[in-house]
Amino acid sequence: MPPISSPPLGAILAVSGVTKSFGALRAVDNVSFAMAPGEILGIAGPNGSGKSTLFNAITRIPFDMDAGIVVFEGRQVQNLPAHRLAALGLARTFQRETVFPSLSAVDNVIVAIEQTKRGGSLRRNVLLAEQALDIVGFPATLHNWRAAALPVFLRKLVMIAGAIALDPKVLLLDEPASSLTPDEIDRLRALIRQLREMGLAILLIEHVLELLTGVSDRLMVLDQGRVIALGEPAQVVRDPQVVEAYLGVAP
Amino acid sequence: MMSFDTFVAVASGGLALGAIYALMAAGLAAVWTTLGIFNFAHGAFIALGAYIGWQIADAEAAGLGLAAGVVGAFVGLFVIGILFHLALVRPFERRPDIVTACVITTLAGAAICESAINLIWGPRSKQLGQLARGEVDLGVFRLPVSDLVLIAVVGATLGTLGWFLSRTRTGRAMRAVSQNREAAELMGLDVPRLYALAFGLSAAIAGLAGIFVGGLRFMTPTMGTDPLMKALIVVILGGIARFTSPIYAAILVGFVESFSNYYVGLYWTPAVLFAMMIVVLFLKPSGLFGHHQRTL
Repeated sequence: MPPISSPPLGAILAVSGVTKSFGALRAVDNVSFAMAPGEILGIAGPNGSGKSTLFNAITRIPFDMDAGIVVFEGRQVQNLPAHRLAALGLARTFQRETVFPSLSAVDNVIVAIEQTKRGGSLRRNVLLAEQALDIVGFPATLHNWRAAALPVFLRKLVMIAGAIALDPKVLLLDEPASSLTPDEIDRLRALIRQLREMGLAILLIEHVLELLTGVSDRLMVLDQGRVIALGEPAQVVRDPQVVEAYLGVAP
Repeated sequence: MMSFDTFVAVASGGLALGAIYALMAAGLAAVWTTLGIFNFAHGAFIALGAYIGWQIADAEAAGLGLAAGVVGAFVGLFVIGILFHLALVRPFERRPDIVTACVITTLAGAAICESAINLIWGPRSKQLGQLARGEVDLGVFRLPVSDLVLIAVVGATLGTLGWFLSRTRTGRAMRAVSQNREAAELMGLDVPRLYALAFGLSAAIAGLAGIFVGGLRFMTPTMGTDPLMKALIVVILGGIARFTSPIYAAILVGFVESFSNYYVGLYWTPAVLFAMMIVVLFLKPSGLFGHHQRTL
């Protein structure tokens, strides 16, 4: 069996040498990794270790990286604008439930569908939006509720449904479990597994370690902007460097 | 006590003024809600619209008639608005101090536009023709046809804009991007294009307003300053909960201005309007029809 920590052959997303500084602070420092199609790659790390900054730099929302290469499906994409990346199939979500508050749940998703080649007549778009909401398990009775009136978990589902509606091949989830209850985290875990069954590769930032190690095929740990471990989750969480980064002491 | 005829004349004048302010405020609010900046060149866009319209319409210039002037001002200002956005707003888009930066760049843009008008058309005032002549007799009272045409054109323009924002793909995308830029990017929207489009549309509507202002008053390079101030009052007074809220406020401001001109006097009218605005800000800081959430 080949070592799991090696970058998979035929990677769908390969990132190399990504660096982003804010003034003197190197938030992301020369980060490289690759993902196989259908893989779930977890990203862990203490607060301020550069996880979200890495997502922001890869997707160019809301800023660009200073240096680095992003290869998506064999094509360099680091210079493409954000909406082109989304159209190619690289979608992301945010840690906060980022939705259009005054639009209904279904209209939120329709806005996403209208940007894709799949979009067509309004009736067809409504159908596709309802499909995306069904996939994430959003209750059908609340489709026409304004997003602002929905509880956090449902707003997160609307956001994920919007990302899925773009028909992505790689989905970047930024701390989807933050501010959720244990029951909701269970539903989220099932959803992440279901998305993988549908063939999506998922890059998952998460603080809830138990969720992260439970669904990830491989785990990458960042500390002070650098990759300090990458490999099978069970091994990575025992890595002395990882333990030190999290607890501040050597075991 | 004013006679009934005077009352009708003052009221219809107020409605016509309100219609122009509604047009201006809608354009100003479109940029404010989508890009989150205040465009101080909006008044200069009005002047440019009037002068471009004059160049096309007036017998001393191209002489193609007022209808061609309206189309020319609309299209011309759409293009100018997009160029303006690319040159003076886009470069600062990702900066945290974009609001302050754009106060300066749009003020500079206004000065450039006014100087350009001075260079091209000279400082001597001009006037655009009325949209229509004569009065229509409604039995009980008579109304100037030009006021009716003005109100109809503004109504049609704002109605089309409302339809565009709520019923078309691009319009929905513009409403979406005005609510949350990051969500828009997440959903795959081309945010820079939508921003440019919002700016272009806003300028085009200002150009249209310029034609009307140029028909009511003499045209000078700084003719947009006063309507800009009124539009600012309208936007603050009405709030910007939705696309329609500045429209009601604009009609209110038009009426108040018209009656205040008659009763209190021309020079006191700005004071009356600002006093009204201050009282509203005290009682309801988000504006009469406002909401804390900004959205188109």
